[in-house]
Amino acid sequence: MKKLNELTIHETLDGLKREEFTSVEITEACLEQIRNVDKKIKALITLNSENALEEAKKADEEIKNTGAVIFEKKPLLGIPYLCKDNFSVKGLVTTAGSNVLKNYIPPYESTVTGKLKKAGAVLLGKTNMDAFAHGSTTENSDFYPTKNPWDIRRVPGGSSGGSAAAVASNMCIFSIGSETGGSIRGPASWCGVTGLKPSYGRVSRYGVVAMASSTDSPGPITKDVKDSAYVLNIIAGKDPRDATSSPVEVENYTPSKHFSLKGYKIGKPKSYFNIDLETGVKEKVEEAVEILGEMGAEIIDMDLLDPKYSIAVYTILQRSEVSSNLARMDGIRYGNDRTNFGFEAKKRIMLGTYTLSSGYYDAYYAKAQKVRTLIKSDFEEAFKKIDLIVAPSMPCIAPELGQSEKSSMYGELMDLLSEPSSVAGLPGISIPCGFSEGMPVGLQFIGKFFGEKDIIEVSNLFQEGTDFHKDFPSL
Amino acid sequence: MSDKYISKEEVKKIADLANLDISGDAEKLASLLSDTLDYIQTLKELDTSNVEETFQVTGLTGVFQDDSDPDSLTKEEALSNASDNYKGLFSTKPVFKRKK
Repeated sequence: MKKLNELTIHETLDGLKREEFTSVEITEACLEQIRNVDKKIKALITLNSENALEEAKKADEEIKNTGAVIFEKKPLLGIPYLCKDNFSVKGLVTTAGSNVLKNYIPPYESTVTGKLKKAGAVLLGKTNMDAFAHGSTTENSDFYPTKNPWDIRRVPGGSSGGSAAAVASNMCIFSIGSETGGSIRGPASWCGVTGLKPSYGRVSRYGVVAMASSTDSPGPITKDVKDSAYVLNIIAGKDPRDATSSPVEVENYTPSKHFSLKGYKIGKPKSYFNIDLETGVKEKVEEAVEILGEMGAEIIDMDLLDPKYSIAVYTILQRSEVSSNLARMDGIRYGNDRTNFGFEAKKRIMLGTYTLSSGYYDAYYAKAQKVRTLIKSDFEEAFKKIDLIVAPSMPCIAPELGQSEKSSMYGELMDLLSEPSSVAGLPGISIPCGFSEGMPVGLQFIGKFFGEKDIIEVSNLFQEGTDFHKDFPSL
Repeated sequence: MSDKYISKEEVKKIADLANLDISGDAEKLASLLSDTLDYIQTLKELDTSNVEETFQVTGLTGVFQDDSDPDSLTKEEALSNASDNYKGLFSTKPVFKRKK
């Protein structure tokens, strides 16, 4: 039998509704797991245990007084979660993994955490990340690196590494991450959990410490696809406080019981499979594609622009937007002064300042925005012929710590397969599809703009027919 | 180590523009930034002469905010993280130097 902290959201809800256990009991089970394993994993930056227990107690009282009907109003009531430390939570230190914001206590709440609070979710604490989300391994945290729960000599991925490692090690029922170019899908893949990056504009960025404003997308990291739908149902939608959030109507993302892959066209881009993929990764992903075929999907080989162009575009845009966004860190209104930036942040600010500076703007920034148009229309053309794209999430399994220092393009090369959809604003998911050398391999689906429902239906069906997502590391 | 695209001197100039102290790291940064710029040159392979820029993907324009948000910060909240304040205002370092 599963321990309480090992449950999914839907299992927890079933139990709470039937009063088999209480929110306090689940919260305590998660806190106990954090106490037991986080010394090794280092997934957390801030623990919010007292507040969490108080919130859980209140949730239990509400359930007791109102009965199961309360879940219609508060669909995540009593569910403990962890949140990446770049989401502002009123009154709780929010560092973005950086010494610049080490002592920053937000006087306001991010829309995502505010919505989760309103839905009754219980915030257990904040998770580690690459400082200001600059990185793909969580080694760039100014505090300490997070370790991969499957093998602590390896990285969990990043920048939402703490959030993915925490879900994989059952420290919480679910977590929240954010992605700019691979920062949800990457760590989800390397930690063997489910990570959904919604379309740009689907989830509000209000109160999230900005990285690259034109691609930042908050999203859930969960134990299965159904759970990611439950969270997306809460956090998606237009926010008057984020002008880039979309007025496109939010769907009910909960997977339907009647979805079928019959007649469904899944594109398999040659340029994503012909790169230097690790053999074990390639094998597992090809096997997963075969399973999709057996489930009735029509697999169509297709052409897409070489992802190397997206890396170059992403690098220019991300660094440019970083240099602009981090210009506000002056140590006057909040945070510490600019001497507190780590080397990676400095490097990125420097490159962005250069690509935006007079004389270089057209050659770099404007050129990148033009190629972005090509990438976007390349996807639009592709989606005229297919319903969804399948690809590996990452080119390899989680590497050992220390590798990222070897190349200035390390993070971008690791995020090669998620950056094209990121610069185009498209949604994507990484779900587990087996193991190579004892480490999880991630399968990726990319959907059309605001095609979250497609992604959720297909990946949920895949999980209903397979057990890859049910494996968790023994710690 | 290469400084093919950015020289040590340019690095110092950019650091000045970005208000960053990079003392001791100028050479290392010239090399790392040049490596990255070298990678980026791959974009030259694509013809974009008749292509418009995509600055944002949502296509939304002219989005205005209701100006009557009741939840704006109090003065105390706005100042709560300031390193220094004076009579309810942020204190900053002087920007201009006095002529001698």
